[in-house]
Amino acid sequence: MKLKTFRGGIHPEGYKELSLGAPVRPYLPKGDLVFPVNQHIGKPAKPVVAKGDLVLAGQTIAEADGFVSANIVSSCSGKVKAIEERRVASGAKAMCIVIENDGNYTLAEGVGKKHHAGTFSNKDILDAIQKAGIVGMGGAGFPTHVKLSVKKPEAIDFVIANGSECEPYITCDDRLMQDKSRGILDGLRLVLQLFPDAMGVIAIEDNKPEAIKAMEAVCAGEKGVMVQPVKAKYPEGGERNLISVVSGRDLKFGQLPADVGCVVCNVATLYAIYRATYYSEPLMKRYFTVSGDAVSAPATFEVPIGTSFAELVEAAGGLRPEITLKKALSGGPMMGIAMPSLDAPTTKASNAMTLLAEDEVELAQAQQTACIRCGRCSRACPIHLIPQMMADAAEKKDYEQYEKRLYGLDCIACGSCTWVCPAKRPLMQLFKQAKAEILAAKRK
Amino acid sequence: MNEKQLLNISSSPHIRNRKLTTGQVMLDVVLALMPATVFGVVRYGLHAFLVILLSVFTAVLAEYVFDLIAKRPNTIKDGSAVVTGLLLALSLPPEAPLYLPVLGSLFAILVVKSFFGGLGKNFLNPALAARCFLLISFGTAMTNFSVDGVSSATPLAALNAGDAVNVAKIYLGTANGVIGGSALALLIGGLYLWAAGGITLEIPVSCIVAFTLFMGIFGEGGFAPAYLIAQICGGGLLMGAFFMATDPVTSPVTSRGHIVYGAIIGILGGLFRVYGSSADSFSYAIIITNMLVPFIDKLPIPKPLGYKGGEYKEREFPKAAINLTVITLVAGLLLSGVYAMTKSKIAEQEMADSLASYQEVCPDAESFQYDSDLDDAIEALGDDIYDSAFGKTYINEAVVGYDANGEIVGYVISVTSGDGFDGDITLSVGLTTDGTVVKIAFTTLNETAGMGMRVDEDAFKGQFEGVSTDAFVLNKSGGSTEENEIDTVSGASTSSGAVVNAVNTALAFFAANIG
Repeated sequence: MKLKTFRGGIHPEGYKELSLGAPVRPYLPKGDLVFPVNQHIGKPAKPVVAKGDLVLAGQTIAEADGFVSANIVSSCSGKVKAIEERRVASGAKAMCIVIENDGNYTLAEGVGKKHHAGTFSNKDILDAIQKAGIVGMGGAGFPTHVKLSVKKPEAIDFVIANGSECEPYITCDDRLMQDKSRGILDGLRLVLQLFPDAMGVIAIEDNKPEAIKAMEAVCAGEKGVMVQPVKAKYPEGGERNLISVVSGRDLKFGQLPADVGCVVCNVATLYAIYRATYYSEPLMKRYFTVSGDAVSAPATFEVPIGTSFAELVEAAGGLRPEITLKKALSGGPMMGIAMPSLDAPTTKASNAMTLLAEDEVELAQAQQTACIRCGRCSRACPIHLIPQMMADAAEKKDYEQYEKRLYGLDCIACGSCTWVCPAKRPLMQLFKQAKAEILAAKRK
Repeated sequence: MNEKQLLNISSSPHIRNRKLTTGQVMLDVVLALMPATVFGVVRYGLHAFLVILLSVFTAVLAEYVFDLIAKRPNTIKDGSAVVTGLLLALSLPPEAPLYLPVLGSLFAILVVKSFFGGLGKNFLNPALAARCFLLISFGTAMTNFSVDGVSSATPLAALNAGDAVNVAKIYLGTANGVIGGSALALLIGGLYLWAAGGITLEIPVSCIVAFTLFMGIFGEGGFAPAYLIAQICGGGLLMGAFFMATDPVTSPVTSRGHIVYGAIIGILGGLFRVYGSSADSFSYAIIITNMLVPFIDKLPIPKPLGYKGGEYKEREFPKAAINLTVITLVAGLLLSGVYAMTKSKIAEQEMADSLASYQEVCPDAESFQYDSDLDDAIEALGDDIYDSAFGKTYINEAVVGYDANGEIVGYVISVTSGDGFDGDITLSVGLTTDGTVVKIAFTTLNETAGMGMRVDEDAFKGQFEGVSTDAFVLNKSGGSTEENEIDTVSGASTSSGAVVNAVNTALAFFAANIG
């Protein structure tokens, strides 16, 4: 059977096998844990602890400020050491709550206790999600309770569990689906309860046969839930493309998935929903892949949120002695953020760290030639844009053309065009800048 | 890790397709051209190899020197100069004088590419523009093929459907003129390039489809398979469709643009081939369409994911499309009109010249008539040379001269020799009924002034008059004693020899069919 997929996309080397060798281990950090108050889309959370306070694991240390915001929960027990500006992964400074870890991980009362096996009202579910501070764990960090509070729940036809994990190197969702398939299914059913007419589709790239097998095993006989293997291709897991592949419906810039009757949740988010609802467990740990050719023992860990990236390098056996680390990415190599320093905390949306001994961007700069108009960028674009023309318009700052004729704002920043370009043009960089400037002008 | 030392940062994505560079893209084109190159060298030998070598070498050197003088970064390692040089060489005749590839490559790299800003900025395909430049400036040398006239429509039109297999064999197996002319080799290379991701099929397919439809409707052979296959395989279409038109720099960006662009090339190519001077219809069709690319790029771009319903108004559509159509039609009609007009004028002029020369060489005749037996004999020769003993000579026509009483007073035979120093020599030979040469007169003569042109002086051509012989002999040292010896024009033995061979051809034809 021909697998479902979309037109466009690329096939970068996956390197998934690097981190699939070792079993998933919990890693408990020794050092301080750092919690930026803005690790989600929306308003930053407001700290509710003060310097010197003692906190327990699972305790809310910052509360959502308004509806589009999310609670922040401490993932360890210890003392609030500081509430100050610190550098986060992007290199920018953000207000952070720093907890001096006592190493005991003493849980706050009620956390992790299984509820009486039974049913939950829709309100129970949404409240549990909101209280647990769950946000989109695939990288976006959009507050989940907001995403699930759609105006017309009965208009949703598909709840898509995103297990495609198309970024190279990253295997945390793959492992989660193998280890926690039952929990993910239970999480999906909780979400399906909110949308009475929706069907649950678990989309997994066909390069994860074990995950497909595990999810199919738990879904056997489940009504209204199906596992949908999709072709392994980047960016299969991009929201717009995945919706298109699963539902045949297309989104455009400015539309939400709900506008076309879809809700997309990462499998890790679904698992967090399950834990929050059934166990009152706030979002304080997650699967996290440490990989790349610069690290000794690539693996996936279950790590408390707020762990420093530097400490996770040590958890994965440290850097390989014979190489120099050139680049450290929060996330994968296609859409991840290059970190100027490893001295930054992981957040709820951090799914991986990729450590590279070589900076291909640097190499590419040396190879850059003039555009030969070969059109490979257009063929690679999953949104069917014309990056070559967009780049020309962006270079000339012809934003009228960029936005109106070339649909430049629809760019999802997947980077496929840039990856494929033989002339090694810095296309993505131009597009990010153009989009930022256009949106900034619109806000004025 | 040293905490003080910061890591590299950059905008995502942080990886690149390392197998794909501009150099690799160019290398793929070179590889795709290898079958045609090998074929050309094997078939045409060392000289063809030299042409290719010189062309590539000159192109690369020109780019290197230009970069040096213009103080630009050295760009020869992107490989585009190699591609230009190779493409140009493959579109040259196998016996091209060695200055052609040198001049052509210099023109391609310096004038067409570097002056416009180098790789990616030129609006014409450098190799093709250079070929057009050479065609205009060195027409004779550029069309001096060892196999003459193969790509012209007229002889092909005569082929009936029964020859289909033969035609296909000829065109796939042997060359039709230029060094890289093997249709089979080009097709193999083109398909390789497609498989390697170097080209998409939109341009070649839409070009060939449009051309085939055009030829089927307007061509002399209609939709006869043999005719169409011959038309597709000959005359530079495959080279053009797969390697010249697909040059990404000078073709549109979108796949929709590719289809429009390919179709315009196909139609213009057909127009020029049917109504124009046939041999190079595709070179000009592609060059003209290259110039339309900025307009084609103005066509509305395909709607991205999510816009099938149509969100933005496409106000540009009619304007760009109308511009494009008008320009194409005007350019096409103008060019084919000019060709058609000059073509009939030339034909008329040639006929008048012929008649005048017939009267000159057969002064006793009041009128000239065709003879069906002679016409059949000429028809039977087809487009082949008469006899290799006379070099490349062809019988054009033989007519019978009658006096006022209807008595036969002589014959005139028109012969063309392809061995002139500078192109064809066509002459009329007047013969009495017993085969004595009355006179000869030239109808086409483009030899070097003061040298070859002197064959038209009585001192030379008078030597043939009144002589009855089986064959004339060229005496290169002068001072002839025998009646059938012809003293060469000093310094023009090639032209003189061609004339003697042409006259001998007429005598041989006379002996075989009349005498």
